[in-house]
Amino acid sequence: MTDILPAKLEPAGALALPSGASAPTVAPLGVFGRPKTKTGWRSWVSTVDHKKIGIMYGTAAMVFLMIGGAEALLIRAQLWAPRQHLLSAEAYNQVYTMHGTTMIFLVVMPIGAAFANYLMPLQIGARDVAFPRINAFSFWCFVFGGLFLNSSWLLGGGADGGWFMYAPNSGVLYSPGHGIDFWNLGLIIAGIASLTGAINLIVTVLNLRAPGMSLMKMPIFTWMTLVTQFLLLFAIPVITCAQFLLLFDRQFQANFFNVSQGANPLLWEHLFWVFGHPEVYLMILPAFGLVSDMLPVFSRKPIFGYPFIVFSGVAIGFMGWGVWAHHMFVSGIGPVSVTVFSLTTMFIAVPTGVKILNWTATMWGGKLRFNAPMLFCIGLITMFTIGGLSGVTHSVAPADTQQTDTYYIVAHFHYVLFGGAFFGFIGGFYFYWPKVFGYMLSDKMGKWNFWLMLLGFNLTFGPMHILGLQGMSRRVYTYDANYGFEIWNKVATIGAFTLAASILLFIVNIFVSYAKSKKMEKPGPDPWDARTIEWMIPSPTPEYNFDPIPTVTQLDDFWYRKYGETEDGRLVRIAKTEDVTQPEHEAHVHLPSPSYWPIVTAFGLPVAAYGLIFSMWLALIGGLIVVAGIYGWATEHPDDPDAAHDVDHGPDGGHASGDDHDAVHDADAGDGDADSATDDEKEVAPVG
Amino acid sequence: MKRRSPLLMVFGTIVTIVVFALFAMMTWSAIKGNDGKPLTTLEPQGPFAQDIQGLVIPVFAIAGVVFIGVMGVVLFIAFRFRDRGDEETADEIPKQLHGKTWAELTWTIIPAVVLLVIGIATVTTLATLNAPAEANALHIKVEGQQWWWKFSYDNSNAAVGNGSFTDPEDVATADELVIPVGREIELSETSNDVIHSFWIPALNGKKDAVPGMITDWKLQADAPGVYRGQCTEFCGLSHGNMRMLVRAIPEDQFAVWMKNQQLPAKVPAAGSKEAAGETQFKGLLCASCHLIRGVNDAQVGSPDKGVKTQLVSGVAPDLTHFATRGTFAGAIFNSHYPNPTDGPTANQPFGQTCTVKGSSGTSDILGNKVDEKDLPACPQANQFDAFGIPYASAPGNPNNPPDKVALADWLRDPTKMKPMAPLPEENPYAGGRRRGMPNLKLTEEQIDQLVAYLNSLS
Repeated sequence: MTDILPAKLEPAGALALPSGASAPTVAPLGVFGRPKTKTGWRSWVSTVDHKKIGIMYGTAAMVFLMIGGAEALLIRAQLWAPRQHLLSAEAYNQVYTMHGTTMIFLVVMPIGAAFANYLMPLQIGARDVAFPRINAFSFWCFVFGGLFLNSSWLLGGGADGGWFMYAPNSGVLYSPGHGIDFWNLGLIIAGIASLTGAINLIVTVLNLRAPGMSLMKMPIFTWMTLVTQFLLLFAIPVITCAQFLLLFDRQFQANFFNVSQGANPLLWEHLFWVFGHPEVYLMILPAFGLVSDMLPVFSRKPIFGYPFIVFSGVAIGFMGWGVWAHHMFVSGIGPVSVTVFSLTTMFIAVPTGVKILNWTATMWGGKLRFNAPMLFCIGLITMFTIGGLSGVTHSVAPADTQQTDTYYIVAHFHYVLFGGAFFGFIGGFYFYWPKVFGYMLSDKMGKWNFWLMLLGFNLTFGPMHILGLQGMSRRVYTYDANYGFEIWNKVATIGAFTLAASILLFIVNIFVSYAKSKKMEKPGPDPWDARTIEWMIPSPTPEYNFDPIPTVTQLDDFWYRKYGETEDGRLVRIAKTEDVTQPEHEAHVHLPSPSYWPIVTAFGLPVAAYGLIFSMWLALIGGLIVVAGIYGWATEHPDDPDAAHDVDHGPDGGHASGDDHDAVHDADAGDGDADSATDDEKEVAPVG
Repeated sequence: MKRRSPLLMVFGTIVTIVVFALFAMMTWSAIKGNDGKPLTTLEPQGPFAQDIQGLVIPVFAIAGVVFIGVMGVVLFIAFRFRDRGDEETADEIPKQLHGKTWAELTWTIIPAVVLLVIGIATVTTLATLNAPAEANALHIKVEGQQWWWKFSYDNSNAAVGNGSFTDPEDVATADELVIPVGREIELSETSNDVIHSFWIPALNGKKDAVPGMITDWKLQADAPGVYRGQCTEFCGLSHGNMRMLVRAIPEDQFAVWMKNQQLPAKVPAAGSKEAAGETQFKGLLCASCHLIRGVNDAQVGSPDKGVKTQLVSGVAPDLTHFATRGTFAGAIFNSHYPNPTDGPTANQPFGQTCTVKGSSGTSDILGNKVDEKDLPACPQANQFDAFGIPYASAPGNPNNPPDKVALADWLRDPTKMKPMAPLPEENPYAGGRRRGMPNLKLTEEQIDQLVAYLNSLS
């Protein structure tokens, strides 16, 4: 980068470009006109706005949740009684494989991505993510990967090897259908989404924070997003490599996992779990972040031990790389490996325990308001504790030889991922709904939602602990009458349908509350008396996020704009909410311009993937679409020269901030903006 | 502003009570509810399982205490520090406490110390469990394949064996592992196709059988009995139907059993139905895969027509002493009735379809709906009772009549009884080899003769 000029030296004017570059005059490739509209479906497919992308991530994840949930109900209906024949063995194996795959890759991870996309830039006071077009590309890769994966149902059946897809059972010899190819290619495409998203969000957190927001003043959700994205950055390449090996084996008769040619099937297990265990933490950490931000609001106290919470999250992120082989205690990895991984697994419970106790201490001495989000937070703390403790019981390797691959493990990870991640996400939905959509979800229905979910959740997954300890294997399509599994299976099935009803209630709440909201007062920027800066701005968030960008002086900056100490040390309100929030106004803030190229480029990937399965000609076409998309993208100016530009809306602290541009933009011309990474150095001294 | 909904409070209270009651019942079930649960991990019947239990109980106790502690503290805080909505304290803001280092260090160090204690106990137990096998251990090779287990005994040397499982005096059997009580059993596991996992919960934890690798494991039973197991690594279509059982019998009976197993198959009397069955066996596809020692050794081993060209796994159950086993087809069907009073009488019609009564109607064993309401019920798959599945330690088993219906049904159409992938033309990558037993489209007469023959192989 050369010739960096501070933005404020730029000539201001309606058509001024943010840099000295001259505008390209023709549309690249001559295919599309530059998208202009801000409403209608075109605005959604061409958007690069992190908020719209976040909403789309969330919506798509909810749709996939319906699919994955229906699969879960099929599983539970099949296991209602011994020797049921609702599903054949073949169908059951596909359904349970797709249930796990869908819930992990297409529901929990994307909900995390939805919050990261929508919320993280707001929490750090940014206008958008670092690479808005790549952000759109990530989202479309995820959607197309998910749709591609699920299209297998219509094209010969789903994958039938389990979400862990152990070799050699995943080879063509043992699974000659196309299900596993769909699984493999679909997840490779979704992996591109995660990887590009990870780089994008890491750069965003590191470079685009508001002035004064040093790392240790970031809200915890932003911290956990950062840790999560680093986990993705290193974990996704591992699974993608493994999947390419499987792809070569299945499509081109390579011998990576062919035992008769000397392969060792444990290679896949290692590669899968080197990805698979960090995966668990990257699913749970965003929810931990949300809880860490919500609990203080409803306790009216700051988070207890901010550095401990942050560093325990970072520690989990690091230690998460050293525990993968606890999925392989019985695979024959040798006693020394078993011992070492058993101990590392035990000790990852320490930072996890720290989080739970710090959350508890956050509530201690507070003035607790039990709104729906708070109930879900407490639900997470208690239910995740169960999942964490059952995790410790099978970190004890000898005990794990009895428990692994039984329903005890199914119970354990549902307490972690549903009781942990999902409770946190639903709480986050209730909490951030007004910020995103401008109306409150009914708190009363939210409470019904919580209690029904708590009931259904425990009825479903609690009994699985006992089923597992009493010998019921996982992944069996049926069981026999005289094993004593009937009663708890019946309870679990009843629970599953209760759980489904609670999810349904959440969806009903969305629509009912929307209908009612038209007659009700708008919630305003700060309905919860919250603490972090995303609550300074109008609800729903205006397109430009902040105007001006706030200068942050401390943790919980927004709260300290509202409250302060009197001379005698008493805490009092020092400002009305209206005086410290930003009013809604028509702002001509320069924002990244929308583009069709991300969706075009992403669309080429599933086309190529269908081609790899059905016809190499189609693969060629898909490849050409990707290349054309990248060409169009590269030659398109990141900022539409015809779009309105106005004076720079710098931070309220008075110095230039990171306006946000695509990397392409940064590369093709000396960007006029001060790099906000320097804000770390120019940190403003705390005043509160 | 604050409006409480009484209905919601009642519902919340009920849910809380139900959840706590559920956990109480689960605890009770884990401690007291293990009767009639043949696969339970909580009632160890041998030293290795006992060692594991010795870790499980204290670890669960610690976890239980922590769980109750956290629940108690959270509920207490929720009650004690709730916003009571009092007018006079409405403006009061709690002290903005940012943390207390001593508290945080305390609850970092205490769990670490507790885990250290658990860790030390774990390492010690691991050392015990991984110790080399005792000198007099019986060495058995365990081979998993879709969807049954093969067990080969190393008998070359009466005491310890010579490490080979193919000497003339070594024997191989399927589905049922017969072991002497009180003696350590050293297992060498491997697989002939995909990864399986061998698990007899009452005797030890599980160990994967990985193709191309040999994994070591040990078993020991303290008392005679039948100990059941289930393959626990997902191994494809019929994973749910891949079972095994261990029969622990006293040493003297084991010696009798072994001596009988070492004999070649019994030769049926000339002209009998059994002899006709033997002829059928040799003439049909059966003889390319299933070994009956002394009958078709050469054919099974033939490089052109033998089992290697017929099956992906390259091995099918040895039937030399089929009638001494109580189960067949991956230990999911009984080949004998468990109780002397059960079973067919002389006038029971032979060779008819049986039905399974499920909660959603009547079906055959695969789950296809059938209408015939008056057909007899299928033999309960994996029937379990207090007496265990019968076995024959010596030739002949007059007390437990053979279950001809189940075996005949199996021969009539195995794919109907157990999901398999037996058709080579369905899989272009299998090189014409099968996984599982195909429907040989036998006539009723052939089935009758084969059943008679198989049941004579004691």
